[in-house]
Amino acid sequence: MKKAIKSVIAVALASTMAATALAGCGAGSSSGSAASAGGSGEKVTLNLGYWDNERQGDTMRKLVAAYTKENPNVTINLQYTPYKGGEYWTKLDASMNGGTAPDVFWMNCLHAKKYVNGNMLEPLDDALKAANIDVTKDFPTALSQIYTFNSKVYAVPKDFDTNAVWYNKEIFDAAKVPYPKDGWTWEDMVATAKKLTNSSKGIYGIASPLDFQTCYWNTIFANGGSIVSSDSKSTLYSDAKTMGGIQPWIDLILKDKVSPDINTLTDNSADSLFESGKLAMCYGASYMIAEYLSSDTIKGKVNLVSLPTLNGSKGNVINGLGYAVYSKSKQKEAAKKLAAWLGSAEAQKIQGEVGAVISARNDAQQYFTKTQPSLNLQVYIDAVADSKPLPTLTVSSELFDNESKYLKQAWAGTMTLKDACAKLDADNKTLLEKEK
Amino acid sequence: MSIPNGQAQGLVRQKNKAKYRGWLCAYLFIAPLMIGLIVFYIIPFIQSVLYSFTDIDSFNNATFIGMANYQKMFTDPDMWRSLGNTLLWVVITVPIGILLSLIVAALLNTNIKGKSAYRTLYFLPVVTMPAAIAMVWKWIFNGQFGILNQFLALFGIPAHNWITDPKYAFWMVMIVGIWSAMGYNMVILLAGMQGISGSYYEVASIEGANPFQQFFKVTLPLLTPTLFFVLLTSIISGFQVFDIIYMMIGKGSPAYESTQTILMLYYRNAFDYSNKGYASAVAVFLFLIILVITAVQMKLQKKWVNYD
Repeated sequence: MKKAIKSVIAVALASTMAATALAGCGAGSSSGSAASAGGSGEKVTLNLGYWDNERQGDTMRKLVAAYTKENPNVTINLQYTPYKGGEYWTKLDASMNGGTAPDVFWMNCLHAKKYVNGNMLEPLDDALKAANIDVTKDFPTALSQIYTFNSKVYAVPKDFDTNAVWYNKEIFDAAKVPYPKDGWTWEDMVATAKKLTNSSKGIYGIASPLDFQTCYWNTIFANGGSIVSSDSKSTLYSDAKTMGGIQPWIDLILKDKVSPDINTLTDNSADSLFESGKLAMCYGASYMIAEYLSSDTIKGKVNLVSLPTLNGSKGNVINGLGYAVYSKSKQKEAAKKLAAWLGSAEAQKIQGEVGAVISARNDAQQYFTKTQPSLNLQVYIDAVADSKPLPTLTVSSELFDNESKYLKQAWAGTMTLKDACAKLDADNKTLLEKEK
Repeated sequence: MSIPNGQAQGLVRQKNKAKYRGWLCAYLFIAPLMIGLIVFYIIPFIQSVLYSFTDIDSFNNATFIGMANYQKMFTDPDMWRSLGNTLLWVVITVPIGILLSLIVAALLNTNIKGKSAYRTLYFLPVVTMPAAIAMVWKWIFNGQFGILNQFLALFGIPAHNWITDPKYAFWMVMIVGIWSAMGYNMVILLAGMQGISGSYYEVASIEGANPFQQFFKVTLPLLTPTLFFVLLTSIISGFQVFDIIYMMIGKGSPAYESTQTILMLYYRNAFDYSNKGYASAVAVFLFLIILVITAVQMKLQKKWVNYD
């Protein structure tokens, strides 16, 4: 018995020693190859971090397969971390402090500035030049702007999302209301929603959730308003144009009575109400397609139309992801080469054909619309021309939380929009002092 | 009888050697626990205290700013509201929770049929993930489709938005908190009750004490050490309530402000806003509150806890 325990301990010790020896080896070889990595045939291992495995896992695996086929010396490990609850960013921050962040990783416009200011992202201009990619020409302007800081590019645009109105044909047919058409106005939408609202059946014409990106920022942009001043020193909620873009959403609940109230929309998201056939129309971003189509209740009964105009103008919020490179990567050259390739026509075609998201490249946007021929997906691409990006700030998550803190009271009708906006602007003054 | 000098020294050396070997062995045995404690609790604790005097960004670049975080904290209305909510949570859930688990433990300590099945049922919430608990209760309290509203409708009671209306939300979450902590306290109290010798009850029943008298005159006094432990741990975990509220009440909920506790405030600042310095100050403040309350309880226990 004693002997057996001794041998178990010996094996355990030996295996830990082996493991540390291997770890030492790994570190040694990777730093050794750093100097010559890139074009040479030496073996390189890269980590690629991303957050959406459910909808885009297939895309990522296909991209990795294509790249490693062309570059057999490169091995790519996909590192998935969920986005929900900020887990992706918490882990990214921690691994950056520990020097073990992925070499290439997904970035979004809400977080880019923080990492650029912290010197965690590597400028990619030379790698893009080598790969013959010109971000200002190959991608929509709004997207190339998002990741350009001090005229250097810090991420290769990956995909983008814009917004449209989805509608449930079954509810329209039952109420004998014609389907909405492109070029419709906000007033048309309210009139249509009124005809479709049937409170005895629990069916509403449309939903007004407290969602800035999908809902009220679109109308703020359409109305010529904006959230943050051009010098990022103050917010502009109290601006008449900004409030003019928000008020119609509050009216949908309190005045027009065509949307569930904010309590209902907190208990049940607008998306889940639409997916269960309780909503006739719903604002939906392009990344929601897979989720909407996975609902058996509405599958085959939905289509989409461009956002209605407000006071005669169109407006849309564009947000796009990018591939960034960790500035302390031990394989920087190889990582930059991979990031640049992910923005190439070839890579963006692969992504577009899977159809989970719209490829950012101008020449690859078409593939996405072909993945669901029965749906009018072109409206998402047409929206790019009228769209503005989300602001890039280092304090964005605090700003959005402030926004919901006051606006939800306006949504509930316990505070006027004017008061809520005045409070927001006052509160945000100290917050934006931190903005660098 | 004298022992030659050299021999005596040798004996002492041998003794010392044995003593050191004994110590070494003891340290080896507690090492796994101590290393874990030091790495995951003590070092982070010291770091938190240090961070609370700095302005630190996501990438650990810290600048010393003295007491500024604490000054900000004491003038932050969010902080005082969160503290008020946390105190309310402790004051309501701890006594009710302990009372209920005491009643259940007393009932399950009698000879009823299928008592182990009941014990398992009451303990089940403890081994269930808080995320799953929160999901289920969210559905029960759902304003449109929830079971609670459907059940109340049978009695003609109109539907309420239980967890989105600031008037009700915190109370509803408290129900879930009490329910999910009850099983743990019940098991500890039950163990305490079973540790009470049967001879006390024998004597009591010979003297003619009824079951109620037995409970109040025998069980309760002898259970005070266990009750004290349960009270201490319940208050500490009450101050640290986080997961259920975090899961049940989202940021966009109208009830968010009225259900925010200190730990929620800490989490938002540390992980959502990257205000790690400020968050550390909040954590240190919470630590001091718990420290003082625990110290006061340790002092007061002499008045009511019965250790024989």
